[in-house]
Amino acid sequence: MRECAVKVNGVIRRDMIKDNELLLDFLRDKLEVRSVKAACWRGECGLCTVELNGRLVKSCLVLAVEANGGDVKTVEGLAENGELAPIQKAFVEHGASQCGFCTPAWVLASHELLKRNPDPSDADIEEATAGLLCRCGTYAQIKEAIHSVSRSGSKQPLKQLVEGVG
Amino acid sequence: MSFGSPYTTLPDFEYHRASRVDEVIGLLEQFGEEAEVMAGGVGLMAFMKERLLSPGHLIDIKDVKELRQIDYTRGKSLSIGAAVTVEEVAANQDVKTKFQALHEAAAKTADPMIRARATLVGNLCEAIPWVDSPPVLMVLDARVEIAGSRGRRSIPVNGFIKGPVDIDLGPDEFVTKIEVPDQTLRSTFEKFTGGSEFALASVAVSVSSGGGKRNAKVIFGSVNSTPVRCLEAEQVLQESELSQSTIRKAAEVASEKVECVSDVLANADYRKHLIRVITTKALGRLVQS
Repeated sequence: MRECAVKVNGVIRRDMIKDNELLLDFLRDKLEVRSVKAACWRGECGLCTVELNGRLVKSCLVLAVEANGGDVKTVEGLAENGELAPIQKAFVEHGASQCGFCTPAWVLASHELLKRNPDPSDADIEEATAGLLCRCGTYAQIKEAIHSVSRSGSKQPLKQLVEGVG
Repeated sequence: MSFGSPYTTLPDFEYHRASRVDEVIGLLEQFGEEAEVMAGGVGLMAFMKERLLSPGHLIDIKDVKELRQIDYTRGKSLSIGAAVTVEEVAANQDVKTKFQALHEAAAKTADPMIRARATLVGNLCEAIPWVDSPPVLMVLDARVEIAGSRGRRSIPVNGFIKGPVDIDLGPDEFVTKIEVPDQTLRSTFEKFTGGSEFALASVAVSVSSGGGKRNAKVIFGSVNSTPVRCLEAEQVLQESELSQSTIRKAAEVASEKVECVSDVLANADYRKHLIRVITTKALGRLVQS
C-alpha cells in the first residue's frame, strides 16, 4: 500500500494503492470511472483503453502505481462544458456502436488518432485501432464516423463501405 | 500453459522502481529468486495473472536511463537497451535501413498500444514459442548482454534460449541490452498469424551481401518449442543464384525438413504448408531488395 496521486480527467485523485493493483481496477472500482471496461484482462480486447500521460494504454496491463503522479484521460474527459466532442457526436450520428460496451475505448482511440493524424485513411484507422475489438462488428460505421470529422470531412463512398464489410 | 484462463488479478508483490543498473543488481542480490525484473510488463503480467509466476518483488527498470538507449555505431553494433520499447525499435531509422528483419518484426508485433509498452528484450526473455524476436535476432547474430552480482557477461541469443520459457539467466541476473553486430547483411522477416495474436509460423532470413561466398541463415519461429534453423535451406541459398527457382527449392526443402509441432493454434501439416508460403514470400522480398 502506498499513497498515490493520479490526475484523472483533470482532477487529482488521491488514494491508497496496493502494489499489485491494476490501473483498470483502480479506475473502475475505486474511482468509479465506469467507461473503462473490464473484459479480457490480458491486453487483447482493448476495452480498458485509457490515455496515460498522452499515450493510449490498455489499463489491464498497467500497474496503478505506475500511474502515480501521472495524467489519465478517459472518455468522460472528452466533453467540454457539457457538450460532446465532435468525435462523440459523430459516433452517435453514424450509429458507430451497437451494444455500446466497446464504444468508450473506440471513441478514445479515434480521438487520439485524429489528434495525431487529422486526415487518416482507412488503413491508418485500421492500424491505429488494431488493438481494439468490437464484437457487434461496427468497424465500418466507426470508420465512417472518423472520416466525417477528419480534416477533409470526406465521407466514404457507399461502395467502399460495403466492400469493407464483406 | 493455459492462456485464456479467467484470472484477473495479480498475486501480491512489492513494487520497486529502480533508477540505476547497480540498484537493480542490488535488489536482485537481496531478493534473488523472489524477484522479477519488469519493463513493459506485458508478458510478465500475463504470466502472473495465470499464477505461472508469483514473484514477491517486482523491479521496474523503465526509469533506468542506461537501459532506455538505442544506439547504432557504424562498423560496430546496434545496441538496444532492456527498457527500449518495440515501438522505439520499429521507429528507429538505423534499424529500418540496416536491420530490416528486426524492423519488420517490430513493426508487426501485436498492436500499437502493446508496442508502446512492450520491450524487445522482454519479448525475447518471455521465450514462449510464438514470440517474433528470437528468430530475427538469431539470423542477425545478436548477443544478449547480462548483468548480475557476479559481473557482466555476454552470450549469443541461440545459447540464451534454452527451451520453451527457459532462458540462461541466473536469479541474481538481468538482461541489460541486446547487441546486434553491424554486418553487410540483407535480412527479412515474415509471419502468418491468421488473425490470432500469435504467429502460427514465422521465418527470419539473412544473406550476406559482401563479396565472395554467400552466407545465408534461415530460422523459423512459432513452429516448434524453440526456434528451428534450417541448414538445408541455407545450403540451397548458398549454392545457387537467388532466382525464382532457387527460392522455390529453398521453400520446398524447408517445408520438408523443418520439424513442426501440432498444438492448439495449428497442426504440423498446416505449419509445413505455411513454411513454404512464408519462405517464398520472404525470399522473394530479399531478392527484390
